[in-house]
Amino acid sequence: MARYRKSNINPKRFDRSQIKIILIILPLALFMLLPIVFIFSHAFKPMDELFAYPPRFFVARPALDNFYKLFKTTSTSAVPIGRYVFNTLMVTLVVVIGSVLISTFAAFALSKLRFRGKFTLMEINNAALMFVPVSVMIPRYLIINALGLIDTYLALILPVLAMPVCLFLIKQFTDQVPDSLIEAAYIEGASDFKVYQKIVLPLIKPAVATGAILSFQQVWGDIMSSAYYISNETLRTLPFFMNTLTSISNTIAGQGMAAAAGLIMFVPNLLLFIILQSNVMNTMAHSGLK
Amino acid sequence: MKSITRKKKTTGLKKRESLTGYLFVSPWIIGALMFLIIPLGQSFYYSLCNVKVSPKGRRYDFVDFKNYTDLFRLDVGFIENMLRYLLNTLISVPVIVVFALIIAMLLNNRMKGKGFFRTIYFLPVIVVSGPVMIQLADQGATSIPAMNVSGITRVLSTYLPRFMVEPIANLFNNMILILWYSGVQILIFLAVLQKIDNSLYEAAKIDGGSAWECFWKITLPIIKPMILLTTIYTVIYVSGNEQNVIINSIYNDMFAVNRGYGFASAKAWLYSVVVVAIVAFFTVVLRNRDTYQAEIKRFEKMEAKKEKERRKLLKRQTRRSGKWVVGVFRK
Repeated sequence: MARYRKSNINPKRFDRSQIKIILIILPLALFMLLPIVFIFSHAFKPMDELFAYPPRFFVARPALDNFYKLFKTTSTSAVPIGRYVFNTLMVTLVVVIGSVLISTFAAFALSKLRFRGKFTLMEINNAALMFVPVSVMIPRYLIINALGLIDTYLALILPVLAMPVCLFLIKQFTDQVPDSLIEAAYIEGASDFKVYQKIVLPLIKPAVATGAILSFQQVWGDIMSSAYYISNETLRTLPFFMNTLTSISNTIAGQGMAAAAGLIMFVPNLLLFIILQSNVMNTMAHSGLK
Repeated sequence: MKSITRKKKTTGLKKRESLTGYLFVSPWIIGALMFLIIPLGQSFYYSLCNVKVSPKGRRYDFVDFKNYTDLFRLDVGFIENMLRYLLNTLISVPVIVVFALIIAMLLNNRMKGKGFFRTIYFLPVIVVSGPVMIQLADQGATSIPAMNVSGITRVLSTYLPRFMVEPIANLFNNMILILWYSGVQILIFLAVLQKIDNSLYEAAKIDGGSAWECFWKITLPIIKPMILLTTIYTVIYVSGNEQNVIINSIYNDMFAVNRGYGFASAKAWLYSVVVVAIVAFFTVVLRNRDTYQAEIKRFEKMEAKKEKERRKLLKRQTRRSGKWVVGVFRK
């Protein structure tokens, strides 16, 4: 049955009935590809093309100048670049895993367990969702300062762990998990945690993946928290370093390096997404969610 | 006695269940409380204050709602920006959601290279945030060059009032941007569409339902909760990203000499009130009006009303008969 269904959804052979769909999808897909093409072509543009007027979208004579310049500048910095890479990787890993765990826990409880105040909690989360993140910057700093977390990794990790968007998305998906499945598990003697681990988590995989991507994005490109909570250069993250590189050196030379840095910062995003999407989207058709 | 012990037992079970519930939520509560809820409360307090940062430390002078009135009195662009934001959001959010739904339905068809297209449509999400976007907008890559916006504007302005023309023209101008904003929404819609049971469509087809009817009677009701979800997500995404004019002005006010943090907080609070209003509007429009459920609810209400009336009558009757009985005894 499962195999039949899979072949039904993803046909191996090309069929004439697919032509009209592809005719609509393909041009739009080209537009969707524009920003990525732009990042790549921008990074390989030599100096004169970067400032050409009118600005050109595609690179005419690709060159590696920008990357050479970038690596030359990084090698002169006081802290080796490996340190920044390590910091970023560690912080990102902890935040993505932590925030997904926290959000799925909370979503499971808020959606499927009964206790007092759960609707209030959800309302609070929704209210926090609407709020502009910029405005809590200063109170957040004061709290981190009061807790003595300035100049630690925790200052980079803790503030972003509870992501309202993540919880909101995952909770809405958890609501769709049928209660009968969970009840069946309880009757078989499963504990709450077992139900969470064996039933809810596999069923909400797409939401988990989306949440993971969103939280990854938030941490990966985060310049603010490195700038405000950390004054020790060895604890700062890669995006902050890239940002300083391109703004310290004069702006004209910085442009090329910024383009190259942008590409370097973008590639992990791309890889993560491709890995996650192939894992997640294909399992969805077979889940028991109806 | 029996009833008491039974009652105690159920509360014990309930207590245990709520305990596990709290256990599951507690990490989130702690995290949110520390870095979200408390800062939010503080920022509300600051919005009522005149915050001064001096070398000696921070000083908060309580000024009541002066910051809020200053917003309207002193900030020239604020009301204009807010109105423009409101109109733009109200128009572009439905467009984004509908576009995402259409693409998701197309991608859900049987075709070759589905995974490839799916990846492409989600890709902008990981690009749109951050500095790359600003660069792209500067280069004019967000508008379709072949599209003649001024022509559209002229046609529109003959039919519509002037304040409506600008946002719609803006919409056409930023068409690509709207396509880029719809990545997550497409993903959500796809996830739901794949969950719809195929046998439903087969049954409809046997009964002679066309594809058009299938969409309105099967697909749409099933994905309705997810439409609301994506709409809310879109509103928040559009309101909270770095391209937003108001966000930028809040950020600038925070470090401006004559405005300060109190003023910026007031602006942020007012802005979030507007965002909440927009979300509430969409929620009311899209709320789940399941016909069967509504019918059941109405029926239940009617039953409850009947029951109440019956009880009232019964009470009156017993009272009357009781009186009568008492009267008899007195006699």
